[in-house]
Amino acid sequence: MSQSLEFPESNTVTFRLDVNGQPREINAEARTHLADVLREHCGLTATHLGCEQGVCGACTVEIDGVPQRSCLQSAARFEGRQIRTLEAFEDDALTAALRQAFSQEHALQCGYCTPGMLITARDIVQRLPHADEARIREELAGNLCRCTGYRGIVRAIQHVLETYPQESSDGS
Amino acid sequence: MTGAPPDTQAKGIGARLARKEDARFLAGRGQFVADIRMPSMLDVAFVRAPVAHARIVEIEKPDGWESLVYTMADMAGVKPIVAASKLPGFQVSEQYPLAKDKVRFVGEMVAMCVAPSRARAEDLAEQVFVDYEDLPVVSDMHAAANGSAEGKLHAHWDSNVFLETQVDNAAAMADDVVSLRRSLSTSRQCQVPLEGRGVVCYWDHRLGRLEMTSAAQMPHINRTGLAECLGLDEGQVRVVSPDVGGGFGYKGILLPEEICCAWLAMQLDRPIRWIEDRNEHLSANANCREHAYDITVHVDRSGRLAGIDCDAIVDSGAYSSYPFSACLEAAQIGSILPGPYKMDSYRCHTRSAATNKPPILPYRGVARTGVCFALEVMLDIAARELGIEPYELRERSLVGADDMPYTNITNKLFDSGDYIACMQRAVEALDWSGWRARQAEATGRKRIGLGLATFCEQGAHGTSVYHGWGIPMVPGYEQCNARVTTDGILELYLGAHSHGQSMETTMAQVAHTVLGIDPQHVRIRHGDTDGSPYSTGTWGSRNAVMSGGAVAAACEKLADRLRYLAAHLLNVAADDLVFKNGAVATADGSRSITLVEIAHTWYRAPQRLPDDVDPAGLGLVAGYKMRPDMGTFSYATHACAVEVDTVTGAVTLLDYAICEDGGVLINPMVVEGQLIGGLAQGIGTALYEEMPFDDEAQPLASTLADYMVPGAAEMPPLRIEHMQTPSPFSSFGQKGIGEGGAIAPPAAIANAVNDALAGLGAEIHSVPISPERVIAALEAAHESH
Repeated sequence: MSQSLEFPESNTVTFRLDVNGQPREINAEARTHLADVLREHCGLTATHLGCEQGVCGACTVEIDGVPQRSCLQSAARFEGRQIRTLEAFEDDALTAALRQAFSQEHALQCGYCTPGMLITARDIVQRLPHADEARIREELAGNLCRCTGYRGIVRAIQHVLETYPQESSDGS
Repeated sequence: MTGAPPDTQAKGIGARLARKEDARFLAGRGQFVADIRMPSMLDVAFVRAPVAHARIVEIEKPDGWESLVYTMADMAGVKPIVAASKLPGFQVSEQYPLAKDKVRFVGEMVAMCVAPSRARAEDLAEQVFVDYEDLPVVSDMHAAANGSAEGKLHAHWDSNVFLETQVDNAAAMADDVVSLRRSLSTSRQCQVPLEGRGVVCYWDHRLGRLEMTSAAQMPHINRTGLAECLGLDEGQVRVVSPDVGGGFGYKGILLPEEICCAWLAMQLDRPIRWIEDRNEHLSANANCREHAYDITVHVDRSGRLAGIDCDAIVDSGAYSSYPFSACLEAAQIGSILPGPYKMDSYRCHTRSAATNKPPILPYRGVARTGVCFALEVMLDIAARELGIEPYELRERSLVGADDMPYTNITNKLFDSGDYIACMQRAVEALDWSGWRARQAEATGRKRIGLGLATFCEQGAHGTSVYHGWGIPMVPGYEQCNARVTTDGILELYLGAHSHGQSMETTMAQVAHTVLGIDPQHVRIRHGDTDGSPYSTGTWGSRNAVMSGGAVAAACEKLADRLRYLAAHLLNVAADDLVFKNGAVATADGSRSITLVEIAHTWYRAPQRLPDDVDPAGLGLVAGYKMRPDMGTFSYATHACAVEVDTVTGAVTLLDYAICEDGGVLINPMVVEGQLIGGLAQGIGTALYEEMPFDDEAQPLASTLADYMVPGAAEMPPLRIEHMQTPSPFSSFGQKGIGEGGAIAPPAAIANAVNDALAGLGAEIHSVPISPERVIAALEAAHESH
């Protein structure tokens, strides 16, 4: 049997989050950032951690429809906000188009940055329907990829911008 | 399959097939180490040394919580990591998983704390008090190599040098050669895979073994190392490498953290997890690329390369890492500095210096990025001296297509290719002459420069190569366990691991070419010591050749057995049968039987088979070894145009062209992906990435805000040209090409910057070419006039 261990006391708080349309009651230490709550408490592991400092973008999720880092603020601060992780976009038509284009353009290798990239890419397509290559690259500044050299990612987003019907691109 | 033409079908060798592995990652359902949950799992945080060199006087555990904190004194019987080069004179280091008596670099682990979450484990770590007695810090590899450092890394050593080597193929050169000498250097870097390292492990009582999941490039090697250090049989350790978020060399190592977590899992009989954070990566593991060259090239008046003399130092850090040792880089420098060129004379002296920095690891390209920088920068300086174009100078010394196969001055056997044509195509693709015209007009504050770099890349290094370099892990034969399942699926078990290289797709393409089976019906199982053949793993651009060769061999053997069964079931001669669309058919297509039907017959209706059928069935192990086993040599030329702002020192990439030859490409889309991904890393090496250490060997760039890796906007316009000269030595003409993208950019970009600055008399000698280095070069030029 496992050794019985005692640990220093941990002070937790209880708060409610709206995650992917589901109400969740979370009991966690107040310092726990949103990404850790999503991953460790909600079992939603599409959201990845690459730097926990807001630079790499692997933890990007949607907060009230806008991409945001989930590693920078404690989860309790997101009460009353609509949080959507990549798991919420399972049946989303625009995300499906992006997935198809990402695969076609070889926009992923190890796949670690991919969830964050997809959240950002979806936002680019919706917000900037006329973005050119330079603008797409600028918009991707907050998402690091160490494998692909970005060409496939940029091309995939360009492809979706060119082919995805704009009238239905609000995605909601 | 030697000499077989590339498959022209859309799914086999040569096809731009979309990847089988994409779907799970695009759904966010990849399974990385940190995604694994186990009941009663505990998290570990390490206490890491805040100083680079010190004696540990005392470690005080937090009052009342001693049972949650462990030091090396608790881990009795656990052996240190030893990676001893076989080369004479190597001084052996012992790296205990937790520091014993002394710490030798900032970030070295001193104690291990365990709690139900990482945050709570870190709380404990903060309460561990360690009394350090400072020792003199060796922060400069020159001082370490020259014996002038006050400190000493390892008490029983004669010096601060792991190993000194000398290659001496000096020969007479003409009296009128032009000799040019410079001191060049590459900075210490971090590999920065987006996912760090990580471990989840527990003891399985049913199987009586340690179950270790680790983000590893070489699970079999990790198992061997773990068993040695923990005193277990290898059968008592299973290592699984799941989805891994990039490696680049960083995860090709036996981790002290793996040993610690394994020990703790056995001690507590609980699942243990450690997930590296970015701070640990950057501050405790800045561990690659740091070379210094004192190099002289000799060229005759026509520009032909006559010889090279070089004295190289590698900053190898504090310990020798398992399995590549502290000397892989220096061994490579000595043997590959001559690059793709012919020459009369060659001399290279190397020293692997021990300093109070993290132990060196190979990073994509290993030493080749450094030697390419050193030699190619010198060749452009020589071309400038002689007043000829850089490609004109190289044309006179590159190994020619007619010379192939060619044995060079360090006994490398180049397999095939047309190096000169490749360079010319890159020059044309860049529109070199067009850029020269634009350069002539840019005479003000912003200068334009052109540069190129060419190299050949040894991949799939064979037994003799690694044995010759003295590396404790010598690769031999790569194998594949193959079987057709009861329902006609082809399962291929490989000992290597794919962490972005796309092997689940490319290996299925190889199988398709041999067996006609749809890649969707091929299951690649990799990264698990259970069921897969022993392999030295994924490194050194080896898997297209080695795993690809093993898969081809296994499929060919399976083909023989399937053909025999099909001939009987179809009542035709086996020789007439071909594999197509998941079936075995007569050449005229009139009769056929699917693999599904054959599998069904074999497993569940053997009464239909003849008596003399081989009972070994539809599963087998087949292996591959390249002969001669020197490896393949892919090659490329990178050419670029840059703009240098002579006031701010900023360098902008204006244009970039690559021509490369990877032999027969299994999947050109995947090859381009490797190439461009490597290019981004090479641009990082050239312009942005540097982990500076101060005089006390404190790392100074411990966040991604300080350590800058290229983003999407830092990538230049790019054209890629492919050549496909088959290797005569690999199974279907393929060559290893995974690292090449990261090799040439620092050289090509430095050459372009120096071309831009030439009119001002300034010259860059180190990468990354930061604005500070550009300004310093301009100021130095100004002062010398």
